[in-house]
Amino acid sequence: MGILVARRLLQSVVVILGVTLISFIALHAGGDPTYLFVSERATPEEIALVRQALGFDRPLHVQYLSFVADLARGDFGTSLSYRQPALDIVLGAFPATIELAVFAFAIAIVVAIPLGVVAALNRGTAVDGSITMLGLLGQSIPNFWMGIMLILFFGLYLRWFPISGHVPFLVPLLNGDLATALGNLPRTLYFLVMPGLAVATYSLARNTRLVRSSMLEVLGQDYVRTARAKGLAEKVVVVKHALRNAAVPIVTLGALEFGQLLSGAVLTEQVFTIPGFGKLIVDAVFNRDYLVVQGVVLVTATVYVSLNLLADVAYILLNPRLR
Amino acid sequence: MKLRYLVALVAGLAIVGAAVMMIRTGPRAASTIVVGLSADIATFEPANISSRDNMNIAHHIFASLFTLDLDGQHLPNLARELAISEDGLAYTYTLREGLTCHDGEALTADDVAYTFTRIADPANKFTGNAPGFVFSSIGFRGAEALDPQRVRITIARKNPIAFGLLTEISIHCKDSYEKMPLDQAATAPIGSGPYRLVSWSRGAEIVLEKVGASAAAFDRIVWRIIPEASTRAAELMAGNVDIIANVAPDQIAAINQSGVAAVQSVTSTRRMFVGFNQAEQFGKTPGGRAIRDPRVRRALQYAVDVPTICRQLLQVECQRATGLVNAANANKALSPYPYEPATAERLLDEAGWPRVNGKTRFALTLQAGRGRYLNDVNVVQAIGQYLRDAGVDLTVELMDWASVFQPLLRTRTAGPLFFMGTGGGLWSPIYDMNDLARVDAGTNYPNWSDPRWFSRWDDLTAAATPEETRRIVDEMLQVFYDDGPWLHLYFQPDFYGVSSRVEWQARPDERIYAFDARPKG
Repeated sequence: MGILVARRLLQSVVVILGVTLISFIALHAGGDPTYLFVSERATPEEIALVRQALGFDRPLHVQYLSFVADLARGDFGTSLSYRQPALDIVLGAFPATIELAVFAFAIAIVVAIPLGVVAALNRGTAVDGSITMLGLLGQSIPNFWMGIMLILFFGLYLRWFPISGHVPFLVPLLNGDLATALGNLPRTLYFLVMPGLAVATYSLARNTRLVRSSMLEVLGQDYVRTARAKGLAEKVVVVKHALRNAAVPIVTLGALEFGQLLSGAVLTEQVFTIPGFGKLIVDAVFNRDYLVVQGVVLVTATVYVSLNLLADVAYILLNPRLR
Repeated sequence: MKLRYLVALVAGLAIVGAAVMMIRTGPRAASTIVVGLSADIATFEPANISSRDNMNIAHHIFASLFTLDLDGQHLPNLARELAISEDGLAYTYTLREGLTCHDGEALTADDVAYTFTRIADPANKFTGNAPGFVFSSIGFRGAEALDPQRVRITIARKNPIAFGLLTEISIHCKDSYEKMPLDQAATAPIGSGPYRLVSWSRGAEIVLEKVGASAAAFDRIVWRIIPEASTRAAELMAGNVDIIANVAPDQIAAINQSGVAAVQSVTSTRRMFVGFNQAEQFGKTPGGRAIRDPRVRRALQYAVDVPTICRQLLQVECQRATGLVNAANANKALSPYPYEPATAERLLDEAGWPRVNGKTRFALTLQAGRGRYLNDVNVVQAIGQYLRDAGVDLTVELMDWASVFQPLLRTRTAGPLFFMGTGGGLWSPIYDMNDLARVDAGTNYPNWSDPRWFSRWDDLTAAATPEETRRIVDEMLQVFYDDGPWLHLYFQPDFYGVSSRVEWQARPDERIYAFDARPKG
């Protein structure tokens, strides 16, 4: 088990390094970033000076190796457009994305399970048909379009929820200001309702269908029939015997799901003006602020790889045959 | 049983509803104005600011020596007087009495001189508009305080637009900035303008608060960063925002019908054109050779129906362009080229580029960035079709602005045809013409080299009277109109959404000054 985890950790490091290399090359493929930092009217001499000042005159591999060496020391460099430590900017945006992803994750799990169970228990009825159709619809709707529709209906016409914006919870919490964090919490959740729904729509729909099919499979198993034959109440049969087994794929997929929700937040954050990773990376890519892009990519990749690792470990723990 | 679930559901919804009512934001204070911008800002270090959105906010925090009004006239601001030496190389400003910075430090000539020398100090590695454009354009030499009220700026060569360019410089005090590390200056400005920074939540909002006895009507300005156009429009119609920039044409009707806001359309100073790149590398192809011929360039001016493009795609009657100078300062003898496809065809035939086998004349590529200008993708496609109708075998290449198109522009290798817009001004025709001040200028994107244009810059600099300057400008603009490197299109219309609770006038120069806004009634 220990060797397996160590091997997976090593693989994770290689993957993360590969991600930084690919994003580094991709960002530099667009040409010399110096031109973003000089006036349109700058002379070739002025451009050369700025190029030298920013370190873009060095060969590409030297720039990359220097970046990796700095990274190993925990130095992400200084953002080219913000002129601030890139790591501070990246970590500053991370909590907002985490809040959105956790909220969306909760919706995708908490709502999907009862919906899937109800659909499975009412197989072939109008209730099942409606839930299945909604599931199909949810998987077909792009989340940014869903976001705009939510804004128009619940934000603009009904005025139930705020159209855009974000109230931080994690930032004051991480700064040790518990009172502010708790004071913000109701409004944090209130502001997250619409973006959370927009991000969660796809996962919610997929999970609902997954729970439904998993439940249908489990409900036909001998042990469920036995439980019913023993005279157990239907609620106990469904919740204790069927759902517990049907939920295994949801739990093991959950970690990967969370990673996908993190990346799915990019467009939604733009639509709802949430100052998280999505918004940061869009701005950074447009400004070719490659140190910030690298930081965002690195943190996202690390989270994703870590979650994968956790999912693998959890799966091994749950399934002794894989040990 | 079912009734119990129903009661629980209703009770749950009631609790959620009550909670929502409690945490809903109340109406904002009447003394606060909220402005919705499409792009985030990068810094509050004035010497590193290079974008218009960033500069718009900074102008509320930092004052300049003179300022520009709506009509492009320069008005005294921190300075009350300016004297220019006879040789045009020394600008002496006399400051108003009793100026202070936001930390209470007195603002004197010494502070102004420090502001200028700090920008020019290579150790600071500033790359914003001030060092990169203003200082390089005027050939900044130095700044010195003559006494507490007078400061002298010296430049390397006489420049007819130096005075206007110097108004771009944001002034701050010396003591505070000498102590401040550069990263602190980027986030915690101590300015000299009518508002001070209260908070900056990156990517979300910037809050400013009025300083002392400023004449501005609103005590607080909240700048909200709302990148998505439909979200900005929704926030305006919901009454959460008072002014929004960059309204998409397809949202104009909805805003105007909302009853709570209206769209102001203003002709901006941004000149939209198709450039004919005459770089050597394009001269190897028939199309590249063709556009080096002024007769071909002139013929193509007749091939594009600009008014129809404006009406159909931008939903306004555009201000047409006759050159690179804004209408207020343009050569009044010139009229926009009419749409006459038959004339275009005839002139192309006469220029020696007939249709081969009745089909096309030569091949060209029209390159453009996506999403930079109003409805740019559709405008470019329409222009492409008009040129195809005139017999050009045209390929349209749409590309990402920042990563692909902008590097091509900066290396002057976009094209051979390229669509773009460049910012101009109302205060001087020479400022607008300055993009093509030298053959090797970074902004000479089309690599134009007509000596009838470039040899006249010395005449402009030496002109002794405004009349003489005007005559030379008109002659140069005639050359540009006849044989220039641009296919003249229009001045970009800008759309701003304005709440009915405020009085505010959109400006043509893309500046958003919230201190000019007043509450209605």
